[in-house]
Amino acid sequence: MAKPTVVVVGADKGGVGKTTVARTLLDYFTAHHVPIRAFDTESPKGTLKRFHPDISEIVDATSVPDQMRIFDTLSSTAASVTVIDVRAGLLSPTLRSLRDIGFLDAVKKGQLTFVVFHILGSSIASLNEIEDTSSFLGDSKYFLVKNFINNTSFFEWDQATHASYFRKFKDAVEITIPKLNEMAYEQVELASVPFLTFVANKGLKGESANYSFVLRGYVRHWLGNVWAEYDRIKLNEIVASCGVAPSGPRVQVVSRS
Amino acid sequence: MTQPAPLYIVTSPRPRMGKTLLARLLMEFFRHSRRPVVGFDLNPRDPALAGRFPKLVWPVDITETRGQMELFDRLIAETTSTKIVDLGYGPFEQFFAVMREIGFVQEARRRGIDPIVFFVTDQTMPTVRSFGELQRRLTATLVPVHNESVSLLFSKEDFPLARPECGVIRIPRLSAIVRGVVDRPNFSFNAYMAKQPGGPTEVHKWIAELYAEFRDFELRLMMSRLSASLGGTPAPALTRGRVR
Repeated sequence: MAKPTVVVVGADKGGVGKTTVARTLLDYFTAHHVPIRAFDTESPKGTLKRFHPDISEIVDATSVPDQMRIFDTLSSTAASVTVIDVRAGLLSPTLRSLRDIGFLDAVKKGQLTFVVFHILGSSIASLNEIEDTSSFLGDSKYFLVKNFINNTSFFEWDQATHASYFRKFKDAVEITIPKLNEMAYEQVELASVPFLTFVANKGLKGESANYSFVLRGYVRHWLGNVWAEYDRIKLNEIVASCGVAPSGPRVQVVSRS
Repeated sequence: MTQPAPLYIVTSPRPRMGKTLLARLLMEFFRHSRRPVVGFDLNPRDPALAGRFPKLVWPVDITETRGQMELFDRLIAETTSTKIVDLGYGPFEQFFAVMREIGFVQEARRRGIDPIVFFVTDQTMPTVRSFGELQRRLTATLVPVHNESVSLLFSKEDFPLARPECGVIRIPRLSAIVRGVVDRPNFSFNAYMAKQPGGPTEVHKWIAELYAEFRDFELRLMMSRLSASLGGTPAPALTRGRVR
């Protein structure tokens, strides 16, 4: 059996599309037949749970009992991948907690695989977050996500500033989430179903739906591009890996031309 | 099981090529043969086809997502009516870009619809390049149309046939005076054909020749499908008209 994998999706800033990225990851793993479960830390009302109610639980990441629900069950759960959608502002505190409870040591020993998707905002503050966050992530796979889904322009990132920050991280990997047609995005929101279900023209309970073919086409094309990014970073291989832990710092950045 | 009704996209990347004339002829041809037909006019500034068939043709602006939904969702939702799309040079690029992005041709084929693109040609470099580009990137059947009123000659080298069995559609040249007759706002090809008090005129012969051309094309398409279903190679169509 593959060793348990924990995928954390987070940012220290709100409104950068963390939940959207988490949703694409759940769809990706579903499509690859990877057993998954998800935790939505937007307690008490979670957005992720609205789209993936069968596999998601809402938790309070700052409470010890809920931390136990997540991390004490990693070996006993049937899911080989646990996705945690971390609420805005809680990424650094969550990583600190993981260090304190010995989770990061277990990652270092190769007992667990730990993947972090850090969703970047358009501001310089977002670049500063990378420095804070990366200090916790010695043995994890660390991916920096530029999310263009809502047509965000990374206006504060001029080439020189960008380079000066990213130079610090050897082998870092940058992922780009492309823009999705606004109307298509809105319709998926209204339907409250996973992207994959929307593309298949189904409702949440598997019943036939009547979504626009055009909008489904836009979502399918966009999701294909997002998954191409996950394939590029070999995400499926990362979560399927077992045995020897990767050595050395794994904060990876590769610019996509 | 009945074959879904066909979909024809009449287009050219340049203005004044006779696209709307061909779309009009197709509309009337299908009405003449008593087959249900609807049209989509993608020329939002001057929806000439919609003006001629207000009850059968919808003007659609595909620069907006809503317009794209109005068009593409309708094209595959109902399969009993033949559909004619008059695609002007303005939205030409966007139409095919959206078509590719949403996987329209694959979905249409899954539903048994084989989209046919009638591409009106001329001798200019942009048209030749555009045809080549479409042929490389589009999986729909691309059929060159030689409108003799636009260019005298048709070069097979410039517009190679992806499906030789489908051939080329030829629109014979009309004299300027007669062209004025068919361009009259209330002119109907079928109504005109029904009246021949003094025997057939140049317009009668012209319409009859084009209708024969459409029937030939349908027959060639049918033979090609039949041949494909039997595992054979369809024979190339005999070329008519002036070809160099």
